[in-house]
Amino acid sequence: MKPHLLTLALLLSAIAARGGDAPACCHAEQAPAAFTKNSIYQLDATFTDDSGHAFTLGELRGRPVVINLFFASCGYACPLLVTNMQAIRGQLPPAVRDRAVFVLVSFDVARDTPAALARYRAQRQLDGQWKLLHGDDAAVRELAALLGVKYKQEADGAFSHSNILTILNPEGEIVHQRIGLQGGLEAAAAALVTAAH
Amino acid sequence: MNHQSLLVHPLPSRLRLRLAALIVALAVTAATAGAEAVRMVTIPAGSYVPLQRSEKDAPTVPVAAFLLDERPVTNAEFVAFVTAVPKWRRSQVSPLFADSSYLGQWVGDLDPGPGAPPDSPVVQVSWFAARAYAHWVGKRLPTTAEWELAASAGYTRPDGRNDDELNRDLYAWLARPVPAVLPAAGRGRPDYHGVRDLHGLVWEWVEDFNSAMVTGESRADSGLDRNLFCGAGAVGAKDTTDYAAFMRGALRSSLNAKNTTTSLGFRCARDLPPAAGR
Repeated sequence: MKPHLLTLALLLSAIAARGGDAPACCHAEQAPAAFTKNSIYQLDATFTDDSGHAFTLGELRGRPVVINLFFASCGYACPLLVTNMQAIRGQLPPAVRDRAVFVLVSFDVARDTPAALARYRAQRQLDGQWKLLHGDDAAVRELAALLGVKYKQEADGAFSHSNILTILNPEGEIVHQRIGLQGGLEAAAAALVTAAH
Repeated sequence: MNHQSLLVHPLPSRLRLRLAALIVALAVTAATAGAEAVRMVTIPAGSYVPLQRSEKDAPTVPVAAFLLDERPVTNAEFVAFVTAVPKWRRSQVSPLFADSSYLGQWVGDLDPGPGAPPDSPVVQVSWFAARAYAHWVGKRLPTTAEWELAASAGYTRPDGRNDDELNRDLYAWLARPVPAVLPAAGRGRPDYHGVRDLHGLVWEWVEDFNSAMVTGESRADSGLDRNLFCGAGAVGAKDTTDYAAFMRGALRSSLNAKNTTTSLGFRCARDLPPAAGR
């Protein structure tokens, strides 16, 4: 019986391919201005920035990007990650520095609301080249999976997480990752410069 | 039986249209029936005892009642998915979302072939693909806590920790190599809740597989490198006697989301409708 159902399903697809409508469950898989096969911008999740506007990662296309997952109430590694991103920025030639985007996406989907992220921006004095993003649990989980970042919320509300800083080229492809907290800032800055060209 | 021959048979065009419509209706019914064929079982609220937790953490994590597929997703079901959503076909999938062995046992893009019978669990699927399938059928992957809560049931009682029969079957499975052709899904002995094959058929993806905070390198796992993992130094193995759970934790922590293996499949879950919870 099962292969019979299979035949019918295949038949359905053949008929659908000839102009019929796809079932309601299966939203059309359109490819607008196709991202490259290795572009993380294929993620179609919508985030919200700290000014409350909807934001998809694909909007970063065309610019070199430094992206990090973090949470605002982190008292250990995250402040250092932000400081490191600022240090990388300081090493960039002006032409690249002006085009680069520095992205922070929060694990803490409950507490790091857009308003909380706006406060974090003010505290850390992050200018317009920084993008602070809030997303739902599924979106953040998927982005973390793409970047190879593991994370877990502990009972006290803090997050254990990998410390991985990622450089994306203008197509949104991962060109460099800095794993851990020590060293490697020059290599990350160099990767960003290369990516910008 | 051969509907395709009807389509090309010289018939008056109006009749042909009607026949085509009938076949579409039949096929839609069949496809829907296929997607709905998996019975979902209610797993009552309970608590999950994490294998790994920090010293600050409570010993158990409360888990709300939820619905879980009775069995893993099959090859036939996954064929229907990739037929409808071409970007998840083997030839079209992005290398970001699945490694090169994705659906590697299948003969073709839409043809599982003899090595992957229709009723057997689909394996060699990445986390991204499993998740995409789940969303396509209006479900989601279970969380680690949900999966482990369900898997803690015995054959005859809700807490299977001391279920000798279950443990015997489980360890027998762990000791056996993965067969070249997997048996059909849904034939395993149902557990206390009526769920089958949580143990003994394939490993299964969970939504938050990437919350398993071990590095996969045994020498590093006893005291995690604080440089690599913020705060993770506090996370240590709680109970090393549950060997099977330990294996699952080790597997999850060693996987990347695009990885696929011949013994790793998945099943779907769903929230209970608000009114049905009690």
